[in-house]
Amino acid sequence: MAKAVGIDLGTTNSVIAVWEAGEEKVIPNAEGARTTPSVVAFTEDGERLVGQLARRQSILNPKGTISSAKRFIGRSFDEIKEEANAVGFDVVEGPNGEARFNIRGKQYAPEEISAQVLRKLVDDASKFLGEKVTEAVITVPAYFNDAQRTATKDAGRIAGLEVLRIINEPTAAALAYGMDKKNHETILVFDLGGGTFDVSLLDVGDGVVEVRSTAGDTHLGGDDFDRRLVDYFADEFKNENGIDLRNDPQALQRLFEAAEKAKVELSSVSQTQVSLPFITADASGPRHLTMTVKRSKFEDLTADLVERCLGPVRQAMADAKVSENDIDEVILVGGSTRIPAVQALVKRLTGGKEPNMTVNPDEVVAVGAAIQAGVLKGDVEDVLLLDVTPLSLGVETRGGVMTKIIERNTTIPARRSEVFSTAEDNQPSVEIVVLQGERENAADNRVLGRFQLTGIRPAPRGEAQVEVTFDIDANGILHVTAKDKDTGTEQGITISDTSNLDQGEIDRMIKEAEQHRADDQALRQAVDARNELDSAAYQVERVLRELGDAAPEHERARAELLITQAREAVQNNVGEQEAKERTGELLQVAQSLAAARANASHAEQPAQDDEDDVVDAEFDR
Amino acid sequence: MVEEQNEDTRAVDLLNDDLTDVSPEEIRAAQAAVAAQLETAEDRWRRAAADYDNLRKRMAREIQTVREQERRHTAKAFLPVVDGLDRALSFGVDLDEGVLGGMQAIRAQAADALRALGYPEIVIDGAEFDPQLHEAVSVVEDASVPPRSILAVTRPGFGTPERMLRPAAVVVTRRPDEE
Repeated sequence: MAKAVGIDLGTTNSVIAVWEAGEEKVIPNAEGARTTPSVVAFTEDGERLVGQLARRQSILNPKGTISSAKRFIGRSFDEIKEEANAVGFDVVEGPNGEARFNIRGKQYAPEEISAQVLRKLVDDASKFLGEKVTEAVITVPAYFNDAQRTATKDAGRIAGLEVLRIINEPTAAALAYGMDKKNHETILVFDLGGGTFDVSLLDVGDGVVEVRSTAGDTHLGGDDFDRRLVDYFADEFKNENGIDLRNDPQALQRLFEAAEKAKVELSSVSQTQVSLPFITADASGPRHLTMTVKRSKFEDLTADLVERCLGPVRQAMADAKVSENDIDEVILVGGSTRIPAVQALVKRLTGGKEPNMTVNPDEVVAVGAAIQAGVLKGDVEDVLLLDVTPLSLGVETRGGVMTKIIERNTTIPARRSEVFSTAEDNQPSVEIVVLQGERENAADNRVLGRFQLTGIRPAPRGEAQVEVTFDIDANGILHVTAKDKDTGTEQGITISDTSNLDQGEIDRMIKEAEQHRADDQALRQAVDARNELDSAAYQVERVLRELGDAAPEHERARAELLITQAREAVQNNVGEQEAKERTGELLQVAQSLAAARANASHAEQPAQDDEDDVVDAEFDR
Repeated sequence: MVEEQNEDTRAVDLLNDDLTDVSPEEIRAAQAAVAAQLETAEDRWRRAAADYDNLRKRMAREIQTVREQERRHTAKAFLPVVDGLDRALSFGVDLDEGVLGGMQAIRAQAADALRALGYPEIVIDGAEFDPQLHEAVSVVEDASVPPRSILAVTRPGFGTPERMLRPAAVVVTRRPDEE
C-alpha cells in the first residue's frame, strides 16, 4: 500500500514526514538532510535544480533561482509588489493580475515552483521508503486565505500528488503533541522560523481544532539574530584592526557561519569562543579574529528582536479574547525558539507556563501533518495496541540481589531465558524467587511467587546449569520454568497478577528506583565483588586440593590464610573495595600455585578461570 | 445452556461436542466461523511476522544511515582545522622551506584522512561549475574564458555527489552580457 506523508512546505525550508508502523518519522532527502531548502533553479542549459543544489548556484544565476515562492503563492501581483522588490528574481503580473515569476522569458506560477519542491521531497521519500508516495497532507500558515490554500493544493496536484488535506501549521503542531484529544483547551502556538514569525491561538476539544486568532511578522526570524552577531563581530574587529570585514565577501561568509554556530551554542552554554584564524591581512601581516561571546551579550544585541515578538502575541490574545490565565498549553515551533531569551519571553507572556518543546521544533509541523495523513488513511486507528511490562521481572540470585530477565517496557508477549548455576558444592536444589520491580536489592522488590527445582545431581558449585525461562503472554500472564539441563527435570509456576498494579503504584516503584539508583548500584557492585571474592577463594581451594603435597609449603599457608579471610569477609558483607583487594590477592596466589603446578607436571594445564562463562549468576538457596 | 452463548462460541463448542442432535446447517456455519477465525489469525500472524522482518531490514538500513550521519558530523568538525591550515599556508610563502614543507605535509595528511573516511578532496583543475560539487560564492564577469569556468577556490570541498561533506566554494565566471 502506498504511504501517505505529511509535508511542511516552508518559506525557507521544507520537511517531509511519514506515519509508519505506529510512529511518525522525518524522512531525510537524497543528500541526507532532514530539511530541504525551498529553492528551485532553472539553469541556462534548461536544467532544473531543487533544494541545496539550487541554493549553491544562486548567486551565479540570480534571475533563474526562485526562493520563498510561498510568499507569492495564490497572491495577486498588487498584493506583493513590495515583496517583489526585495527578491533577486523577476516577479511579474500574469494575465489575470496574479503574481508570476519571469524566468528566461517564460512565466511560471508560484504553484509550479512549489510543485518542484514537493516533487523532490516526495521522490526522495519514495526512494527512502522503498515504495511510491502518492498522497500527502500539506500544511499552510493559519492566515492563508482561500486563494492561497487552493494554490497550495494545486501545487500538490502539479507534483502528481493527491492532496488528502490542507491543514494549518499550528494545528499540525498541536496534533504532533496529541492535543486534539484534550477536552476543550486553549493552546498558543509560537512559531519563530528562519524568516517569519507566526503566533496562533487554538481551541481544541472533541477532536476538533479551531484557530481563534493569528498574528505575526512576515520578516522576523533566526536570520535576523545571526545578522546582529555578524555586525557585532565585524564592529569589534574594526575597532581593533581598522579593517571592515563586511567589505570582503569571503570574510563575510565566514562571519555568517561563525555567527550561526555561536547562536546555536549560546542556546545551551553561557559563553562560546569564536575563532576565525587568518580572517584577513594587511601590510603588517595576517590577522585573526578570536572573541568570546557571552550569552548576556547576545541577549543584549538581540533584545529588540525578542521584543518584536511581544506585539503579535498580545494582538493574538486580544483578538481571541483570552488572557494569560486562559492559556492551557504553549507549543514552540521553529528553530529560533531554542533561543533561551525567546523562551523566557514566551513564558513571561503566558503566565509562566512551561512551553512544550519535546518534539524537534524544526520538524513538529511535518510530524503533525504525517499524523493527520495517518489518521486520514486509517493507519493510526489500525495500530494494534501493544502492551508492555510496566516493571522488570527477574529472579533472586546469590547475595540477595535481583537479576532481571525481562526488562521493564518490553513489549509483550515475550519470552526470555537465562542460565544460572549453583552456589555450593553438591547443592541438591535451587529456589526460584520470582521478582517484580526495579531495585537491585531483591528484598526491595515485589515477590510474585517462588518454587523449588530439586533433584540436581551432585556436582561442584557452578557446574550445574539451570535454565530459567520467563514467558509472558499478551494478557500479562507470566509462566516461569526452571530446567536442569543435565537431567531435564523441570518445574514451573504460573503467575497471573503481574499487571494488576495500578499506575500510581507502578509510578511509585519506578520513582523509588530512581531515587535509590546510586545506593542500589553500590549495593549491586558490592554483592558482585563479594561473589567474585567467594569464587576466587573457591578456585584457590580447589587448586590446593588438586596439588596436594606438590604445593610449596609457604604458598599453601598463605593461600589457606587468604581463603579463610575471604570467607570471613564475604560473611561480614565487606564493601566493594575490600572485596576487590582480597580477590586480587587470591588471584596472585592462584597464579603462583599454577606456576608450581606447571613445574610439578608439565602436561597439566594451569588452573586458570577457564570455565565457559555461560552462567549469569548463581542461586545460593 | 448452549442457546445462551453467542454464535461464535456456540459454533466452536459444537465442534467438540456430540454432534448427533446438531443440524448440518449448524455444522457448516460452525465450520465457516472457525475457518474465518483461522484466516484472521493467520493473516495477523503473517502481518506480524512481515512487520518484524521489515523492521529488521529497516534497522539494518538505518544503522547505515546513522553511521554515515555520525561520520559526516565528526568529519565536519575537523574542516575548520583544514581550512586554517590552508590559510596559514597561503600566508606562509616567505617561511623557511623546511617549515613550509612540513606544513604542506600536514595538509596532505588531513586530506588523506578525509579521503579514508570517504570524502576525497574535490579536484577543481579546469572544471566547469557543477552545483553537485561546487558552491558559487563569487561571480566575475570575464569574456576571455567560457562562462561557468572556475577561476579560484576560496575553500576546498570534500566528498562526492553521492556523499557530500562540503562542496568546494568557488569563484565562477559569467558572460559580461548576462544579468
